[in-house]
Amino acid sequence: MKNIIELLKRHFVFVLFLILFVFSLVVLFSSNRYHNASFFSQSSDWVGKIYDWRDQLQRYLRLKEINDQLALENANLRSQLPENYFFIDTTKHDVQDSIRKQRYFFRSAKVSNASVNRESNYLTLDRGRLGGILPNMGVITNGSVVGVVSSVSDHFSVVLPILNPKFQESVKMKGSGDFGLIAWPPGSDPAYADVKDIPKHVQVSIGDTVLTTGYGSHFPADLFIGYVSELNDQPEENFHRIKIQLATDFRKLSHVQVVSDILKQEQDSLLIQQQQRDGVEDNN
Amino acid sequence: MGSKTITSFLRIFFLLFLQALVVSRLQLLDGFVLPWVYIFGILMLPFDTPKWLVLILAFVTGYFMDLFTGPMGMHMTACVALGWLQPMVQRLMSPREGYDAIQEPTIQKMGLSWYLTYAGILTFCHHFILFYAETLRITPFWYQIGHIIFSAIGTLMLLVVGQYLIFNKKVKN
Repeated sequence: MKNIIELLKRHFVFVLFLILFVFSLVVLFSSNRYHNASFFSQSSDWVGKIYDWRDQLQRYLRLKEINDQLALENANLRSQLPENYFFIDTTKHDVQDSIRKQRYFFRSAKVSNASVNRESNYLTLDRGRLGGILPNMGVITNGSVVGVVSSVSDHFSVVLPILNPKFQESVKMKGSGDFGLIAWPPGSDPAYADVKDIPKHVQVSIGDTVLTTGYGSHFPADLFIGYVSELNDQPEENFHRIKIQLATDFRKLSHVQVVSDILKQEQDSLLIQQQQRDGVEDNN
Repeated sequence: MGSKTITSFLRIFFLLFLQALVVSRLQLLDGFVLPWVYIFGILMLPFDTPKWLVLILAFVTGYFMDLFTGPMGMHMTACVALGWLQPMVQRLMSPREGYDAIQEPTIQKMGLSWYLTYAGILTFCHHFILFYAETLRITPFWYQIGHIIFSAIGTLMLLVVGQYLIFNKKVKN
């Protein structure tokens, strides 16, 4: 026993090193790298505050650019106001719409921290649970897709952007309407992403628009994701290899809108009911 | 020793913020070069710092860097390895008369070539472990090696330039 203690004393530093190193490795491998965003503390309030403080400074320096962006968006929205439209057919008249109900609700938020050049990137927004944001809401900017909220604290939320290999969303080609999946190769250029699973019989050409499907219920349908920029088809494969240029410029991201789907719960619970019913018949 | 220790703590603290708020935002060649200058706080610990303290400080530094950058564990792992290697490299490179007269490893006191070897070995080891702890993949191999080497060179350049900017005045006064 005495010998063991002597041994430990002599190799105290090495033992300490082993303990700390093993501990670090355990943390590294146990913090489930992508989904456990609630544990990883970018959403913890004090780190959020520090980033927020820096961002205020940066935003100040970029006011001009942001003004232009907002002015553009204002102009876009203004052009859609009903007053700007007139009826070509004078025999018809405007009807107050009591059939349609609002489905998506948008909240604005500011990006207080963002990474674009890592293997898996995250964004931090300056709004959290108290601002009405919940996990799994979609995040967009100027009508193009940014990502999905993955975890929230009271005042901040962390977003899984397209630039994260864990981001999954179905997309469709404008026009033909064929579905594919968007994937971002880890660590690649933040201006581009890949679209997979679009079969070869579908005509795809450079410059085609890629839109959201609206299936995942994170996003409304027909939001911009990007434009086809390259086709690297391999003869032995059945699917296109499509590279798209993303519509969102993640390096200049500043103001975003968080989309909440008012009917999401209803849609999900229906699906779960159905799955449970099927599950009973199968084996569960 | 007392004031040296406090200076070291403050330096580590300051570098963490510098890294998180400024250096991590640099977009050099689309993120191909990613300097991690916060390890300077560990490299600059005085020669007479006990080994266990170097380890603990490195661990804590890594922990806070992890808080800033993302998934926990990457910087912790790399920094603990750095904290263990640092005294070893110092011992391997000790001059014949020992380190007694000098207290901190700086370019001014140890000379540029000594410093580049010392910081170069440690920076490369740290970046190597950090990068593979982050990706957990080994393809595409040459791209990754290039990323590590050029990031390490970037870090070294910032360290050297930073030292000439900061410490020159001190020596003259």
